[in-house]
Amino acid sequence: MRNLVFCFCLASGAAHATGLATCDSGPKERWQPQEKLSAVLKDKGWQVRRIKEDGGCYEVYALDEKGNRVEAYFHPVTFAPVPVGAKNHKG
Amino acid sequence: MVVKVWDALVRISHWTLVACVAAAWFTRQQLHEWVGYAALSIVALRIVWGFIGSRYARFGQFIRSPSRTLAYARAVAAQREPRYLGHNPLGGWMIAALLAAVALAGGTGWLATTDRYWGVAWVEELHEACADALLTLVALHLAGVVVSSVRHRENLVRAMLTGRKPAPRSGDVFE
Repeated sequence: MRNLVFCFCLASGAAHATGLATCDSGPKERWQPQEKLSAVLKDKGWQVRRIKEDGGCYEVYALDEKGNRVEAYFHPVTFAPVPVGAKNHKG
Repeated sequence: MVVKVWDALVRISHWTLVACVAAAWFTRQQLHEWVGYAALSIVALRIVWGFIGSRYARFGQFIRSPSRTLAYARAVAAQREPRYLGHNPLGGWMIAALLAAVALAGGTGWLATTDRYWGVAWVEELHEACADALLTLVALHLAGVVVSSVRHRENLVRAMLTGRKPAPRSGDVFE
């Protein structure tokens, strides 16, 4: 039982790094701030709900200019869009 | 001598819900959403069945008063609780808690997919908290099944598969 719970807890911890995309983005000191990405996307007409880090990328929850729900990944240094499934995207 | 206790809908809804909850834990995105909707549908079906189903499927049969549940819990602690043919009082409340937890996890999960709550942190956190609470309840449920099976020398897992249990013996509760 304890092993089962332990194994579930591991799975739960792993859920925070979703693995949907990963970026080769180097040290965080060289990343551009999240606020700047938010401003760039807002200029495109997006309604940005939330930005978080995931797998070395910025993960953005937003409604795009057409009002579609999007969960999109961006490289934190270059802000290049990162397709879901990308591994160690260089930006 | 064995008697039929769990009807087909109780058993099928139980095991499909097990499959959905397990699958939900390990999936994400589209698949996770569909598994969640399936779980919500099963909970809805089971709740309706709790009012119109066969005898031991009904909430009225197995949801006992708090005082009786407490008395049963004390008897368990003293290892002199009677065997119940249907759900025992703690098991009955566990079923209510499990159904509620699945409904809350599914409901908050659906909410997180709406335009209004898309990407909203507290919805996601609430969804995760519901899932964690559900996991804790599942662990307690399994512990209860094991303890009860050992104490009364019956295989409750098999009973949930076949629907049949040993006939009531003297001192058992079957009303």
